[in-house]
Formats: sequence, structure tokens, C-alpha cells
Amino acid sequence: MRWITLLGRTGTVILMVGLALVLVSLPPPASPSQSSHAGSMWPEEYRIHHSGVYRPQTGFQISVESTDNIRVYLLGVSPLEFDNWKTQIREAYPDLGHMLDDFFVVPLIFVREAYPDLDDPQIEDILDIMWNIAVLEKGLQTHPEIVLWESPPSSTLSHEFLPADVLYITFIVANPSPDRVEVETKTKDLTVLAPKERVVLPAVLLISIGIALAIPWLILRKVKRSTL
Amino acid sequence: MGKGRPFLEVFTCALNEDYRFPILEILVFLCALCTFVLGGLAAVSGFTTGEAFTHNIVSSSTLPLIILVVIPILKNIAYGLGSDIEKGITQTLFSYPLKRGYILTAKLLSALGIPLLLFLGISIFGLFLLFPDIILANPDTVFLTYAAQLSPVLLAAGLLLLLALRLKRGVLALITGLGLCIVLFVIFDAIVNSLAYTTGSDWSLKIYAVITPNLALQEYYLGTILGFTHKIWVPSFSEVLLYLLAGYLLVALVFTIGYVYFKRGLRI
Repeated sequence: MRWITLLGRTGTVILMVGLALVLVSLPPPASPSQSSHAGSMWPEEYRIHHSGVYRPQTGFQISVESTDNIRVYLLGVSPLEFDNWKTQIREAYPDLGHMLDDFFVVPLIFVREAYPDLDDPQIEDILDIMWNIAVLEKGLQTHPEIVLWESPPSSTLSHEFLPADVLYITFIVANPSPDRVEVETKTKDLTVLAPKERVVLPAVLLISIGIALAIPWLILRKVKRSTL
Repeated sequence: MGKGRPFLEVFTCALNEDYRFPILEILVFLCALCTFVLGGLAAVSGFTTGEAFTHNIVSSSTLPLIILVVIPILKNIAYGLGSDIEKGITQTLFSYPLKRGYILTAKLLSALGIPLLLFLGISIFGLFLLFPDIILANPDTVFLTYAAQLSPVLLAAGLLLLLALRLKRGVLALITGLGLCIVLFVIFDAIVNSLAYTTGSDWSLKIYAVITPNLALQEYYLGTILGFTHKIWVPSFSEVLLYLLAGYLLVALVFTIGYVYFKRGLRI
């Protein structure tokens, strides 16, 4: 009887933890802030429309509208790799001043991949080549592992994104066409208390184990009460 | 018959008395829910990275300590032990072939050990589930934060034990204990911060950090980000360790007095 009670109470405790997990995963993602960006893009050019560090609890929803087909890329770099890239950029291009902040790290790494022989360039030299779509393509060829999502060519698209790990995310819009394109992007930050993909399986396991352990004790308790 | 069986007997009795169904389950549910919600909110706020961020997440998720540990301490140690002495149950337990120290250990294991075990289990499980990378990157910060957060709770448990043994009345010990906890951890906190702010001196913070080493740890990790006190006092890491050691020495002293009093001074 004591063992059944001990296991039963352990089961009810495990069940409660599982239920709390389910409850915490139920609220839909909240959207505390929104930003939009509109402008024209030159032929065969790409631009960063949003970037920053995201965790499994934070993500964003993007919607893009344009006058011609464009491509959207979501790139994710681990913080460790990002720091490594930052160091490489600072060593390779020491004279770039304000361009050495986080925002330019990914495009500058792409420049370095596309033009490995570029020696001690000035800001103007870099700006001439940095936003060229060929540079982006070369960078993506060299680092295919950082592409988290790539849209098909489209003039209207929407995508919701919550990273699985802590990542430095760069949201890129590229204009592959030979014409100028007007692009409007809206970025809505999303926050969740607990990411569903991490929580659901452990919650199901905990609830199942909890019920399995608690049932014999609950039955015994009921029988004992009815006999009294 | 060895000491193991009577010890288990006393421990089981205490468990049955302390955690009637579904009190424990409700506390666990609330604690788990608060751990996941507060941990999630701390991650979303994410105003910094590295050790300070880890400290922020862990200390936010340890707030449910109040639910799962402080409430059982008040109920089981202050009220429970006081009532046991008042009703003569402790006297019955003294007739067991067991030293008084073991009886108190069995009682404390049930009243304090079980909630602490459950709290740590839920909290560590929740943190590993939601932030495995952050937690694994700074295990020393996680350990220090838990140690610092638990120190004042253990001190409160020790003081409530002394109160229950001295007053020998359940309700009286509960009310006095509740008052003592509010004075020590709410009113003193406000007074200490006001003093530090108005006088610009760090001595009040330093004295209070012996009782609550989590203040020193918080100032160390977040002093440059949170509030005004960082201008007054930013302790070094070795200072934080000293405050932690002093806090646990104080806890050990209070429990030692409790044990000595229970073994030699308690007249029923």
C-alpha cells in the first residue's frame, strides 16, 4: 500500500508538471512591436531589411509586397560563429569605421568570400560591391548552412519564423530581375513563453507517465473510501 | 531493530501529515507554471547576454520558491511542528527508539527537504527544457544563483524552526513567523535600499547581503544595468563568494541552535 501511495503521489506530481507545460504552450505568439520599410531596389541588388539576435522564445513574422518578383532569405548564424566572423572582418577590413558593427557582418563576410584579394578597402569601395546580388549568391554558396528559409520568386509573400536555437538572424530581400522594383516589407516581432516543439513531447510523456503511476493509487483510494 | 525503520516511520508520518492530497499537487502545478512563465518572460526581455542573462533567467525562474518552499515551510515547520508540540504528538515521537536529533531530521526532511527537492527538480528541468544552450554555457552561474536564492529561504526555515520550538504553539508560531519573514525580507529590504539611496553609503547593503547573498550576486551581475544601487556598491566576485559563505554559515548556526535546543532544551 505504501509503495502504491508513493508511486501514486509521484505520478500526480509528474502529471501536474506536464499539465503546467501544456498550459504554458497554449497562448498564441504575442506581437509586441511592428516595423515597416518601403523603398525601391536597383536591378540585381539585395538589402538587409531586418537583423538581430533571436531565441526560441522570440521570432518574427514578415510580409513582403513588391512590384515584381523578388526573393527573400532568412539567414541564421550561431552567436559563436557570428563573433568569429566579426573578428575576421575586423582583421581583414580595419579601416571601415562604423561599418564594423553587427548589421554589416554578414554582407562583409560575403564580400570577403567573393573578393578574397580585396586589400585594405575604403568604405566607398566596399559600398560599390557589397549589395550586389552576385556577392550574395557567392556567400550563400560558401555558407549554405546558414540559409534557414528561402522564398521562391514572388511579388507577395508572408512567413512566420521562430528559431530553434539562439541565432543571429538576417532577413534579406534580393531583386534578381534586371528592372527596378518597389518593395514594402513589414516585420512583426513574435514572442512565445515556451516554444511548442520543445514543450509538447515532454508534456505528453510527463502526462502519460503521471497518469500511469497515479491510476492504481486513485482506484485504491476510491475503493478504500467506499468501503469505509 | 536498527534506527532505519523507526526513522522511516516518523518520516512517513510527517509526509502524510504535511502533504495531504491535493495540497502538494496544487503547489507543484503553480510552481511549475510560474517557473515556465517567468523563465519565458525573462528570455523574451533578454536585455543582455552571457552570464548576466543566465543569472536573470535563473533568478526569475526561482521566484516560485515562495510558492513551493516558503508556503510549505510556514505550514509544516512553523504551524506543523508548533502544533505537534502543542498537541503532544512530539512527546509520542520521543517514545520511539530514536534519538531526538533523528526525529527532527525526519521532520525537516519532510517539511523542507521534499519541497526543496521538488523545486530544484522542476526548476532545473524547466530551464534545461527551455534554455539548454544558455544553461549549459554557464553552469557555474546557474549553481551560484541557486545557492544565493536558497540561502535566505533556508535562513527563514531555521528561524521558523527556532520560533516553533520556543513558542510551542502552532498558530502563534505561524503568525509570528509570517511577521518575521515580512519584516526580514520585505520591510528590511525597503529600508536598506532607502538608506543606501538617501545616504549614498553601501554599508546597509553589505550588512543585508549577509542575510540575503542574492543581493550581492545580483549587484555583481546586473549592477551596471539595474537600478541605482550599482553606483553605490558593485561587489567583486570574491566578495560575492564571501557573502554566500557568510549566509550559509548563518544558516548552519541557526539550524545548529535549533538541533541543540530540540535535543537538550525542549521541555514538553
